Amino acid sequence: MKVRKSYLLLASVAVWILLGRLLNGVHTLQIATYENTSFTKYVGEKALDLRGNRTESPAFIYFFNPIRGAIDGFVQAIRNLIAVPAPNSLIPIIGWLGVVAIVAFAVYATSQWRTALLSVSLLVACGALGMWQFTMDSIAMTLAAVLLSLAIGIPLGIWAGLSDRVLKIFTPFLDLAQILPTLVYMAPIALVFMIGAASATIATMIYSIPIAIRITSHAIRNLNQAPVEAAESMGSTQRQKLSKVQIPMAKQMIVLGINQTVMAAVSFVVIAALIGAPGLGKPVIEALIIRNVGQGFVAGFAVVFLAILLDRSTSAAAKRQDSFIPATEKQIKTKRITLIVAGILAVVSVFMSRTMLWAAVWPKEVTIAPQVAKITNSATAWILENLTIFTVGFKDLISYSILNPLETQLAASPWYVTVGMIVALAIIIGGTRTAILAFVLSMAIVVSGLWYEAMLTLTQTIVGCLLTMIIGLALGIWTGRSDRAEKVLRPFLDAGQTLPAFVYLVPMLGLFGPTRFTAIATGIVYSIPVVVKIVSEGIRAVPHALVEAATAAGSNARQIITKVQLPAAKKTILLATNQGLIYVLAVVVIGGFVGAGGLGYLVIAGNSKPELQGKGLIAGVAILLLGVIFDRIMQAGARRSS
Amino acid sequence: MSSASPMISVQNLWKVFGNNPEKVIGSADANLSRTDLRAKTGNTIAVRDVSFDVAPGEVFVVMGLSGSGKSTLVRCMTRLIEPTQGQLQFEGEDILKVDDKRLRELRKTRFSMVFQHFGLLPHRKVIDNIAYSLEINGIKKDARHARANEVIELVGLQGYANAYPEQLSGGMQQRVGLARALAVDPEVLFLDEPFSALDPLIRRDMQQEVIRLHHELGKTMVFITHDLSEAVKVGDRIAIMRDGAIVQIGTPQDLVANPADDYVANFVRDIAKSHVLTLKHIARKAEPGDATDGPELAASTIIRDAAQVILQSHKPVRVNDNGNALGIVSSEDVLRLISGGA
Repeated sequence: MKVRKSYLLLASVAVWILLGRLLNGVHTLQIATYENTSFTKYVGEKALDLRGNRTESPAFIYFFNPIRGAIDGFVQAIRNLIAVPAPNSLIPIIGWLGVVAIVAFAVYATSQWRTALLSVSLLVACGALGMWQFTMDSIAMTLAAVLLSLAIGIPLGIWAGLSDRVLKIFTPFLDLAQILPTLVYMAPIALVFMIGAASATIATMIYSIPIAIRITSHAIRNLNQAPVEAAESMGSTQRQKLSKVQIPMAKQMIVLGINQTVMAAVSFVVIAALIGAPGLGKPVIEALIIRNVGQGFVAGFAVVFLAILLDRSTSAAAKRQDSFIPATEKQIKTKRITLIVAGILAVVSVFMSRTMLWAAVWPKEVTIAPQVAKITNSATAWILENLTIFTVGFKDLISYSILNPLETQLAASPWYVTVGMIVALAIIIGGTRTAILAFVLSMAIVVSGLWYEAMLTLTQTIVGCLLTMIIGLALGIWTGRSDRAEKVLRPFLDAGQTLPAFVYLVPMLGLFGPTRFTAIATGIVYSIPVVVKIVSEGIRAVPHALVEAATAAGSNARQIITKVQLPAAKKTILLATNQGLIYVLAVVVIGGFVGAGGLGYLVIAGNSKPELQGKGLIAGVAILLLGVIFDRIMQAGARRSS
Repeated sequence: MSSASPMISVQNLWKVFGNNPEKVIGSADANLSRTDLRAKTGNTIAVRDVSFDVAPGEVFVVMGLSGSGKSTLVRCMTRLIEPTQGQLQFEGEDILKVDDKRLRELRKTRFSMVFQHFGLLPHRKVIDNIAYSLEINGIKKDARHARANEVIELVGLQGYANAYPEQLSGGMQQRVGLARALAVDPEVLFLDEPFSALDPLIRRDMQQEVIRLHHELGKTMVFITHDLSEAVKVGDRIAIMRDGAIVQIGTPQDLVANPADDYVANFVRDIAKSHVLTLKHIARKAEPGDATDGPELAASTIIRDAAQVILQSHKPVRVNDNGNALGIVSSEDVLRLISGGA
């Protein structure tokens, strides 16, 4: 059965290649970038109508516009507090010294002084990079999105944690949110809520609410049920059970969910600038557009610092809840005294930041931005000059060996040949139902008129995923087998997962210039951590007895890996591939920024060029369709292999 | 209500898991084996046509191996699991008919439960764990803490009121569980394998503790266990369960002396008969040559307790059942029983 499957796959690939060669250049559905089909034109016009309706249609007047207004107001209030001059004032309500002091106090109160010190250093570093106001804007945006996400996500999560039916209704949405590339829903949101802080906040919330729901419901569901049952046996009402037992017990896990929600929001900090979010995204994207690697690094560092700051401060708070036993009286007393002192210092600092200019506005003289830009620029120049052999060599190697042939095969073959291949793949791996879905979704892309661009994006995604899996499997097996490797790599993997994808674009742009390869390389770097983590968990989950038995039978390390661990972890590896593919896809489309072309370019161009608006909106949907096709095939494959 | 009427009465109680559980009861499917039934309809019969009464002040033990349905049965009795069919009365009140509000009231005031895995609230101190049911009864903090402190003394937890559950050993945690159950002064205690998660030595202490509390407070108890020696130690009567049904109900002596079938016989085989049976069970007619002027003992004396007197006496002892001479017991009779003969 297994053998026959792989033969079938090989055979269909061979037929696909053969047909692709024979019919090269025929029915590729390629149209020029600025050319519109009647469908894309129609969508573009509808979008324009929608825009014009904003002041007339009741849906806007009574629903969308009030939401926009409320969120805008909320964001603006937080921005006035720390980022931009308050009304009738030249400075924000709290100046930089006050913000630093409040952060220090808050982090110290919820975790240790070391974390507080780290947080302060990171904040000051952002200031020194000349990014103070951008950083504050990003914090304000993140704070607003996180507060709203938690206000919605935690109650819904508790609900889904208590009711199987609610969870069942939520699950498809939560699953979809996980594979939805962020770039996809920005344009529709901006269309409804206009470019600005409200749209950016809503887009962030769409990404982070599912995470809050998922973790909260998981926390409620996975509680030790014995105390819950005991509470019920004592005659608690549902409400008493929830408020006195379930929520207090789940609190620790929910705090962890807050950390994850914050990090989800942070990963949006840059991309949200595309639809008008104030903050660090602006300078990053500006730098990418003008290809100024140095400036990109300056802003990129600030993003990295912000991500670390928010991660460390919130996860430390979660870790502190490890035990339900509070500190001893003496510890409480000591902490209380230091807290009072710290609190007084914070209040004084806030007061100073409101009255003295040097404490209110970050002093321009205190800056290391030019140096950082200069160093990174010259480092990039040096690499380009001296390491071209490696960078260009690697780029060319990949380009000529797989990228170009695959692009020819996918983009220059007739559409029906490739649709046939996708359906064949779906039948062999997933079965008839998956095949029908794959066929319908592929045809939707064909009909949309963006087939050619979709194939460009698909090429980059496949190549990126392939390289990700090669590197990810190797590292995953290594960390899965060796505790030392796990220990060494863990911090990098954790850090890698917390950074927004955009940040990786900057160095890659420096190394590979504005090409599709930059997009692929970014996708690889972005998705490797998650793949390594999943693979290593899969390897570790292989029962120890299996490995022991194989060792006792005289297998060497290679035999253990190939004959025991990999086959036993097959399902996990399929899931890791799926996750890698989704991650690479999400990043490759962002690469539209740096010359990768394909669907991503259309989405981004559609944001700014009215004549491309229709195409941009449809391109977003096409990205989603591509993602769903491959996600369904892989998931079906993983299900069947278990 | 007369004192002779039962505290709890269970009649023809069924619990069937799976879809359309009512359909299984009374159909031919109900007689299938577990695996066959699950394969055919997807249902599992956890409690099968169970009936028994529990008298006020009695310790009623339900004994069975894992999967025999005993935990489901005790949860059906407090409706933590809804029974599929049958009657269940508590002091004459039909428990299966009461609404949620009345059910909560009963749980808050009349019966309490002790769990195998303690079920303590990890985020609350011992005293607030014990006071939980008083708290949801709306009792003010001072009053409920005063009551909690009383129970803390009762179960020997003095000095631990402000500890958190995870700071206590398993045995201590279960004392908290007991104290919590006693805090509302309930009429009935349901104990679901309360000591199965404890070390053997601690388990013995806790069994003594339950016996002591029963003597002091006289609560009716329904005690679930998989350990027959525990059942014999604490139980006035024991119901043996197998595959959801009750195989035999009787006093420890009944079970040991007259097991209903091979299954029960198999169980009681490991019980030391001399620890359970009384002289009544082994008294025999004096045969010619037996001395009939030995010491006299009551028929209800447990053999183990009589052994020393019998073995040291040169003559067989005479067994007296409230004035009637039942017969005699010789050293040989005792030794034969202890060494495993009948």
